[in-house]
This record gives sequence, C-alpha cells and structure tokens, in this order.
Amino acid sequence: MTEEKDGKKYTTISIPTPLADKIKKRIEGTGFTSLSSYVTYVLREVISGMEEDSEEAFSKEDEEKVKDRLRALGYLD
Amino acid sequence: MTLDKNINYIVSGLERSGTSMLMQILSAGGVPTSFDTSTRPPDENNPKGYYELAGGKIINKLMEATFPFQKYEGIFIKITAYGLKYLPPRNYKIIYSERNIEEILDSMEKMTKKKDINREETRETFIKLNEMIKDKINKREDIVALYINYNKTLENPKENIKKIYDFIDSSDFNFKNMIEAIDKNLYRQRRK
Repeated sequence: MTEEKDGKKYTTISIPTPLADKIKKRIEGTGFTSLSSYVTYVLREVISGMEEDSEEAFSKEDEEKVKDRLRALGYLD
Repeated sequence: MTLDKNINYIVSGLERSGTSMLMQILSAGGVPTSFDTSTRPPDENNPKGYYELAGGKIINKLMEATFPFQKYEGIFIKITAYGLKYLPPRNYKIIYSERNIEEILDSMEKMTKKKDINREETRETFIKLNEMIKDKINKREDIVALYINYNKTLENPKENIKKIYDFIDSSDFNFKNMIEAIDKNLYRQRRK
C-alpha cells in the first residue's frame, strides 16, 4: 500500500509485533517521534554502509586488473 | 516502432555475461538498437556479432567523456559493466545481464586463447566489479535497471524475455521474435 504525505510517497511494511514493541521501548526519549522514523533511519544507515563497503572493496589495484583484462579482451585501448 | 526519446537505453553486464545475446533479442523484436560491425565483426567467440559501437572501445570514449549520448536517445546501445562507472548524468534504462562467474571466466579464457593462471584473483576482482557497478546503478536516481540472469533466460526464455518486454514498456515490439532469437546452440560454456 502506498500513500502520499508532504509530497513524499510512503509504503507500508510489516515487522513482528514483539520486535516493534522492543523498538518502541528503545526509542523512548531518543528524539525519534515514531517507530517508522526509527526504522527508516536504521535502514538508510544499513544501505549506505553497504554502498560504502562495495566502493571500498573495489580498490585501485582491482581497477588496474580489470583494465588489463579488458585490454586483453579487446574492450579497451 | 520507437522508444522514449528522453531516455538512453543500455544493455550492460560483465564482459562475456550475455550482453550480445540481449542486444540480439532486442534487435530481433524490432527494438531500436545501434551497433557497428566494421571494426569488430562476428567471430568464433560471438558468431552472431558483438553488437557494439566504436569497435567495442566505447569505454575509452566514456572515460574521455566524448561519447555522444544525445545521438543515441531512444536507442539501445551496449556498454559493458566497467563503462557504467563513467555514465554522465542523464536519464537511463539499463538491462543488466548476470551470468555464472565460472562461465564468464571460461569464456574469457577461450576468447584470449590463454589459460588464466590467476583465475582465483580474476574471479574475485570481477565479482567485486559487478557488485560495485550494481551498487552505483542502484544508488543513482537517473537510472532504472532491470537485472536479467543469462542462465535463467536460456532455461526459461519466455518468462525472462517477458520481463524485458515489460521493462521496455511498449507493446509495439515482436515478443515472439524476441524469444526465437535465443540460440541455445551458442551456450557453449555451460557449467552444471
């Protein structure tokens, strides 16, 4: 289900109720105004961490190896 | 039969991952594609052709930022994975081919006519390249991507080509011809 709020689109996801209760307790007094805002924050952090990991994992040395292979295959001068 | 002229359409994936087969499928369906055969004609490694521009050296043009994307709006072109690193901001739709990495390495060895003595290292490097490029694609807001598995497309052409057909978002193209374009005889690096 998708709904629009303040010009942004939102979708509903389901998580187990015991987990939701735990999160609610955890965010008390932290400034997070809702379960959704906390879950959104955590997911953004996870995704951004994964993206940084893949950039870091592909080193300059890896790049040179790829270029060498591409030259051998005729894809690069 | 046309595609959206505000979008640059790209077929991509690691080299030897089935990108030429995807171009072949699109071309057979009447989808606008652009390639030249003058500098790298069909050979034993790609009997139906490479479906590339600039003799396969399009990556060099992307690295120099001299590739004329405007000329190819509304047309599918092939840019292999590493080249996607250099895509300037525009609107793109990308069909990205994925294939069993061992088959890719086998095919690379066959093409270079040389056993890769550093195969373990090459495998690791190309897996990392694949992940890095997919992350970049997923992160960019000007790219919409469809991931297609080469091995599954050969096993089940109808289901996978339907995904491509829906992704292109036009009913103008010949779905039957797209399916018939798959030549299983060219699946020569099969790994069980």
